[in-house]
Amino acid sequence: MTRQPLLGRLLSGLALASLVLAACTPAATPTAEPQPTQAPEPTAAMPAFEPMKYEAPNCDYGGQFKTIEAVDAYTVKFSLCSSDVAFPAKVAFSAFSINDSAYLESTGGTGDLIEKPNGTGPYRLDSWDRGNQIVFKRFDGYWGTAGIPETVVFKWSAESAQRLLELQSGTVDGIDNPGPDDFAVIEGDANLQLKLRGGTNIFYLGMNNTYPPFDNEKVRQAFAMAIDRQRLVDNFYPAGSQVASQFMPPSIFGFTQEVDWYEYNPDEAKAMLEAEGVLPGFKTTITYRDVVRGYLPNPGVVAQDIQAQLAAIGVEAEIVVMESGAYIDAADRGEINGFHLLGWGADYPDATNFLDYHFGEGASAQFGEGFPDIWAALKDGASRAEAADRYPFYVTVNELLKQHVPMIPIAHGANGAAYKADVEGGYASDFGAEQFGRMNPGGRDTFIWLQNGEPSGLYLADESDGEALRAGEQVMESLLAFEVGTGKPIAALATDWSANADLTEWTFTLRQGVKFHNGADLDANDVVLSYVVQWDAAHPLHTGRDGSFTYWSGLFGKFLNAPPE
Amino acid sequence: MADVAVPSPAALDSERLSVESMSLPRLALRRLFRRRSAVLGLVILGFLTLVAVFAPVIAPYDPELPLIGIEDVKKREAPCIHALGCPLDRPQHLLGTDGNVRDFFSRIVYGTQVSLFIGLTTVSASIVIGTVLGAVAGYLGGWTDNILMRLMDVVLAFPQLILAIAIVSMLGPGLQNALIAISLVSIPAYARVVRASVLSIREQDFVSAARALGASDAHILFQRILPNAITPLIVQATLGIASAILEAAALSFIGLGAQPPTPEWGSMLGAERNQVFTAPHLVFFPGIAIMLTVLGFNLLGDGLRDALDPRLAQSGVKVKA
Repeated sequence: MTRQPLLGRLLSGLALASLVLAACTPAATPTAEPQPTQAPEPTAAMPAFEPMKYEAPNCDYGGQFKTIEAVDAYTVKFSLCSSDVAFPAKVAFSAFSINDSAYLESTGGTGDLIEKPNGTGPYRLDSWDRGNQIVFKRFDGYWGTAGIPETVVFKWSAESAQRLLELQSGTVDGIDNPGPDDFAVIEGDANLQLKLRGGTNIFYLGMNNTYPPFDNEKVRQAFAMAIDRQRLVDNFYPAGSQVASQFMPPSIFGFTQEVDWYEYNPDEAKAMLEAEGVLPGFKTTITYRDVVRGYLPNPGVVAQDIQAQLAAIGVEAEIVVMESGAYIDAADRGEINGFHLLGWGADYPDATNFLDYHFGEGASAQFGEGFPDIWAALKDGASRAEAADRYPFYVTVNELLKQHVPMIPIAHGANGAAYKADVEGGYASDFGAEQFGRMNPGGRDTFIWLQNGEPSGLYLADESDGEALRAGEQVMESLLAFEVGTGKPIAALATDWSANADLTEWTFTLRQGVKFHNGADLDANDVVLSYVVQWDAAHPLHTGRDGSFTYWSGLFGKFLNAPPE
Repeated sequence: MADVAVPSPAALDSERLSVESMSLPRLALRRLFRRRSAVLGLVILGFLTLVAVFAPVIAPYDPELPLIGIEDVKKREAPCIHALGCPLDRPQHLLGTDGNVRDFFSRIVYGTQVSLFIGLTTVSASIVIGTVLGAVAGYLGGWTDNILMRLMDVVLAFPQLILAIAIVSMLGPGLQNALIAISLVSIPAYARVVRASVLSIREQDFVSAARALGASDAHILFQRILPNAITPLIVQATLGIASAILEAAALSFIGLGAQPPTPEWGSMLGAERNQVFTAPHLVFFPGIAIMLTVLGFNLLGDGLRDALDPRLAQSGVKVKA
């Protein structure tokens, strides 16, 4: 167009101005004054270390923590309201990674904390070009084995065909989640190597029991019989995937052979739905996010097949696709009516990671109202030290899940990562936690990783998406770490840890001489504050990206000072 | 224009004779059929219309039914045509199966219905609204014209597809909302065309005559002026259908248009975009279908423009003079 009319010009001017404004706003927010806490300035006056201590008045608030205290500069003690055998595994998880307390305060618990994480890990964040890539540089002051490549670059593409194409053309060194149809292509290519993960995940069809008719347990049970899970796995999952008989994957403690899911029986399902007055004429929705995860390699196709299966018993389901981040947030807030397609990949090998997170007392509203009988069994299961003592409780939990049907477990999806053939040490972590410092990209000094999506933020306490966790894990470290291969908790920022006999008091001895990327030294107060800002909902630094801190509530129950619901 | 055929003097003689005895529409039709590209466009569209109308007869399968457990086929199977040597014990799927194990040929066939429906409804809706707006603006002039046309300029200031995406995001994804969005963004094109014609026609003597006879504004506008302003609108509409189909396909490709399991070409392309190397037929055939339809409308639109443009007709006569 050669002639731009006046009004058109005015409007585009306005649009431009609003864009500029929008671009400037985030830069302004971090200047917000950090609220004073009871912590002393840790780096100010060197000599006297003033240990921090936080205590809940009592255990009635519904969470697991009683006190978190720094005993001395290098010792942290956690007292719990109930025993927790999985506590080392939980603190090893990156959602509970340790931040420098001064940095936490200076960021106000948000802003730079999300964009420019400051950890103790082998790599430091160099730059994050939103929408394009994240560049990590090797941290020279790292306490452990230095990373092999000097630079690690994270890129992302939602299209599996594009990921494979970039790997084949050599512009990246490794890709996550090749498309199931591409497994054979990669295996047949001498320039590439395929590494598989062991199906340590669960794909499920969730239902929120606050929306009728899903508030009726009979209706949920009927739907459990209406979905042909075998057909989904046979047709739309790569070889090595398994039909799920329960929420727990078979290779992780908490899987119980005794429990098996409902037999597929569409006729009985239909009859039950008719008896409950749901059919004929029931219309609902199937909501999903169009992103590939290890547990769901073909989201659109699977959604359409479930739609066709529901149509076969007379249920008309409309498919709704949501943006990934908005979808997770809506699911956690319990806003999704109808069916939703979601899954979970293991973060550490224990039942608490799967069951407590989703069905514990502190779980999100994804499935609506929780089930107190499941809460009780989960608490009992977590409070025994010996696996044999814990096992019966998980049989109960899995049976109760079958009875209540908050979701229909469908598949444990085989998936993997692919690397160029010259990448030494390339592996696919069962927990989605690849450490690229361990890989040698054929002698090149930069390792380029192409995953499915861009992290929403890198303050891992307030993220639950594996895409964010993996990126953050290059930078951040927790008290303990998971041994590559077994997933067993091993020493990281803490060198030693011990518990009392009934597993309610855990003491961690910190490694000395650990530096944060900003030059600060690690001490016990950093650990205390990193935990407390998550634990205490009234803490001024309890902000994060959206403030949901789902891992905390999922694994440790309710927040201290949680606002009344 | 280079592709205007220069007829032999004898032929022109006969044409001039017949021109005088022929009505305008018949003349236009005759000119249209002289153009090989326009005829090709008509043939393509005629074929597509037949496919759309007889889709239930042509399609061997239900386009929305996964064949899992019904037939021994797998997802994303390559085309199997018995006449071309596919084993007779295999079920015949002319264009293979898609990711959900549905017969791809049936989906393409039914997709014709969806695409033609999209093209015709959106263009009809935007023609009606655009014509009224353009006619009123052109006829009344003054501030009415200014306001309406500036409004159209605002809409035109945004790239059509981006604006359509914005509207659908606001209304929520779905075929119906996509139709509304595409109709809305194509209104200005029609409003402008109609306004331009009305502006030139309203100054002509027969309009003044009608006014002198005491005809009302509405009568003059809708009975006298509009019928004479219709020619450029027909051309614009034909070309507009092509772009509407393309836009709907684009919206569906990014998941904002037709929702599954509706067999819409754009969404079929979008759903299988990652199989471009492993099952190329699944992106090839919907692409071909979209291209063929758009080509048909574009060829016909170009032909119509040439056939209906009086200046081109005159130039044809001038050659001889």
